[in-house]
Amino acid sequence: MMNMKQAVNLLAILIMLGAGTAGCTSFGKTSPESRASMIQSVNPDPGATNDLDEKDIKLAKKVKKDIAALDEIYDVAVITGKKEILVAYKVKHLKRFGMKRIEKEINKKLEKNYPDEDFIVSSDYKIFIEAVELRERMKDPSFPDKKAEEQLQRIISLKKELT
Amino acid sequence: MGDKKKQKMTPEQQQYQELEQKHELKRPVVKNCIKAFLVGGLICTIGQAITYFYIYFFNFTEQTAGNPTVATMIFLSMLLTGFGVYDHIGQFAGAGSAVPVTGFGNSVISAAIEHRTEGFVLGVGGNMFKLAGSVILFGVFAAFVVALVKTLLTMMGVL
Repeated sequence: MMNMKQAVNLLAILIMLGAGTAGCTSFGKTSPESRASMIQSVNPDPGATNDLDEKDIKLAKKVKKDIAALDEIYDVAVITGKKEILVAYKVKHLKRFGMKRIEKEINKKLEKNYPDEDFIVSSDYKIFIEAVELRERMKDPSFPDKKAEEQLQRIISLKKELT
Repeated sequence: MGDKKKQKMTPEQQQYQELEQKHELKRPVVKNCIKAFLVGGLICTIGQAITYFYIYFFNFTEQTAGNPTVATMIFLSMLLTGFGVYDHIGQFAGAGSAVPVTGFGNSVISAAIEHRTEGFVLGVGGNMFKLAGSVILFGVFAAFVVALVKTLLTMMGVL
């Protein structure tokens, strides 16, 4: 059995490890919304990389409304690009057992409602965080559309990465 | 002990068994399970925190963050074994510290330390994977079998 001193040492090391990993969140990305999106619902506005195109924005809003209607989902981010539409969502914790089924359901719904559009659907936290981050940057009027599209393509390539 | 096995034993052996059972210390199974559950859970919580760290600060998705997380956890447990801390965790938590992937790092380094006196090549090099070798062997074999089953099911059109 451990004596008191060893137990205190062990506890100190565990606390240091925990604090080390937790403390790392205080630097890095700046957007408070993307930071908050890790633990709570942030409900980001739907947007389009070409923010002058009313049609794209309308479409993004409609897609968001459609997906948010599902019971298992609690946060949806939709960004319309030139060709693809990125749909990132977060699944309620206890419903995560049925992730594949939910993804299938969403794909089916989108294909039925918008047969002409090309969707990139993801339940990954990283894709959601990046989508929120991009949406935040797009709010700045000086952020060029071309850069927004580039960023969107980067997120899509990240989604396709497997290893 | 089963009745069949007991019948096979000689009267002396049976007598010895009874004597042994009288003096044998009872293992605190429930207490051990609770300790293993708590410490194993704590290790997994740290692993989850590291996963989130990689997802948030680097270009890793939920799917790809697993590899660097496992590497980090193994590295940490190797360091802790070298410092002599993981042994205490292992003594306290038992399976709680051996079953997570950190137990793998511990088994590699503890074998290396044990055989350090026998030299670097035949001692450390030859005995490093004495305990972890079986983990790697059965891990690779199990992965092969699972991949085989998946390929067959995909070819049959089930998946």
